[in-house]
Amino acid sequence: MAEDLVLDTAIRDWVLIPLSVVMVLIGVLRYFVGKLMRSSQTADEKIVKEGQLIIRARNLRAAANFIPAKSFRLRKAYYTNEENGLLHVPKGQATNPQAQMFSDPNMAMDMMKKNLSMIIPQTLTFAWVNFFFSGFVAAKIPFPLTQRFRAMLQNGIDLSTVDVSYVSSRSWYFLNLFGLRGLFSLILGDENAMDDTQRMMQMGGFGMDPTKSLSAEKDSMEIIQHEWALPKMGQRAEEVLRKFVKQ
Amino acid sequence: MVGASEESRLNCLEIQVDNGGGGAWEYLCLVRKLKARRSDKVLKHGLSILNDHRARSKLGGEEWTLYEQVAIAAMDCQRVDIAKDCIAELRKQFPGSMRVGRLEGMLLEVKGAWPEAEKAYQRLLEDNPLDQVIHKRKVAMAKAQGNASVVVEYLRKYLEIFMADHDAWRELAEIYVSLQMYKQAAFCYEELILCQPLVPPYHLAYAEVLYTMGGLENLQTAKMYYASTINLTGGKNTRALYGVCLCIAAINQLSKGRNKEEESSELQTLAAESLVKDYKLRAPVKLPLLTAALRNVKLVS
Repeated sequence: MAEDLVLDTAIRDWVLIPLSVVMVLIGVLRYFVGKLMRSSQTADEKIVKEGQLIIRARNLRAAANFIPAKSFRLRKAYYTNEENGLLHVPKGQATNPQAQMFSDPNMAMDMMKKNLSMIIPQTLTFAWVNFFFSGFVAAKIPFPLTQRFRAMLQNGIDLSTVDVSYVSSRSWYFLNLFGLRGLFSLILGDENAMDDTQRMMQMGGFGMDPTKSLSAEKDSMEIIQHEWALPKMGQRAEEVLRKFVKQ
Repeated sequence: MVGASEESRLNCLEIQVDNGGGGAWEYLCLVRKLKARRSDKVLKHGLSILNDHRARSKLGGEEWTLYEQVAIAAMDCQRVDIAKDCIAELRKQFPGSMRVGRLEGMLLEVKGAWPEAEKAYQRLLEDNPLDQVIHKRKVAMAKAQGNASVVVEYLRKYLEIFMADHDAWRELAEIYVSLQMYKQAAFCYEELILCQPLVPPYHLAYAEVLYTMGGLENLQTAKMYYASTINLTGGKNTRALYGVCLCIAAINQLSKGRNKEEESSELQTLAAESLVKDYKLRAPVKLPLLTAALRNVKLVS
């Protein structure tokens, strides 16, 4: 067993604490910069309309059995007919988001702003940490861990003999980067806290195509069967009333 | 919609605040959250907070929300002077704000300056054509002027974009009923049933529209929707019980000449019995009226 390393208190004062403070400050700063750069989103009429249309079509699908067959057929035709049905997307008109992004400079601009506020401070802080604090063992976790955690906690020091519960400075940086969400939600208010993991997930979700969901909705609309639920209601109402009268 | 438990909490707080027990801000917050319309109380208590420097500064940024709330309440109570002061204060704080612009439009409405208000809203819509509240204000304004056809036009324009807004559908349905355009109203109620399939008032209203339109097919459909209302309310809806009785009577009358077999009258007699029982329980004085009415449609001998 390796002897316990004694960490200099100077490391605590000059590495551990400054690193944490800087990470928090950068998070706050980024929040305000993002707020400054955020352009007010004016929704496009077409997109709003499509969203609402999908909700309405979904309602129809879910509750189709509650309206008379005639009304249902009317609506189905209204949504899905091949000429001018609401859900019908003419071929070739389907816009793909990539092309839309190039045609609309605002969108590209927004993307860039988002990226700027995310990537630039991250690269800078990473470079800064690497330059000043590389190779420090900055902290010790008060419980033992298995070897698997070595990659997570000792990024930047390649010594297999050091006990895994020691944390390297670069790993401390990563832990802070991903783990400060709770603190931000305290400082900045609940909705404003957005840690980087979430941001990355958002990036992944970008670029869904509304016309696709329209035509999917159309397909599922076409296959539903209408079975009017109301005729059964008469009998059930009789039962209910019988109970009511007997009471 | 306000749930029963929330309403009782609101009433509790109201009594507490009225008797000087404090908690005015909580009360105002709750009113805002539940979208309750208690303008006189809001005006009284909101104004007392706004006039008290210490209480006001305690609110921090929420102060401006309170200004807005009080302004709207004041307009509701026809205290144009107070509303004007509040809006002026807000305008000073937020010079280019859309929300304040909306309030200014409403102030013009209160004064009855319809053309000016219309112009103000139009200007706001140019900046942001998708503002639902302003569209709704325009509808409300047309309604206040008693201009039903304009209301219909605005609502249809609004629903073309925001077609999943069921409150707007309900408004349109009611307007259509008042204009006696039952077919259109029926369409709107169908839309509402699709939105919220288990809300009994929509079933009831749809049945009533169908019954009013008449015709054998419509009457039969109406009967089913009355039955489903009974089903959803557990037989507690008097209107639906009456509706079933009347529907079946009308159907029998229509199909008498055509030699069809009589409608199964189980539902009908049960509905009549429930009505009698309900009246006995809750309004025994009016029982003779009921039996007379039922005798008229030959449900009781």
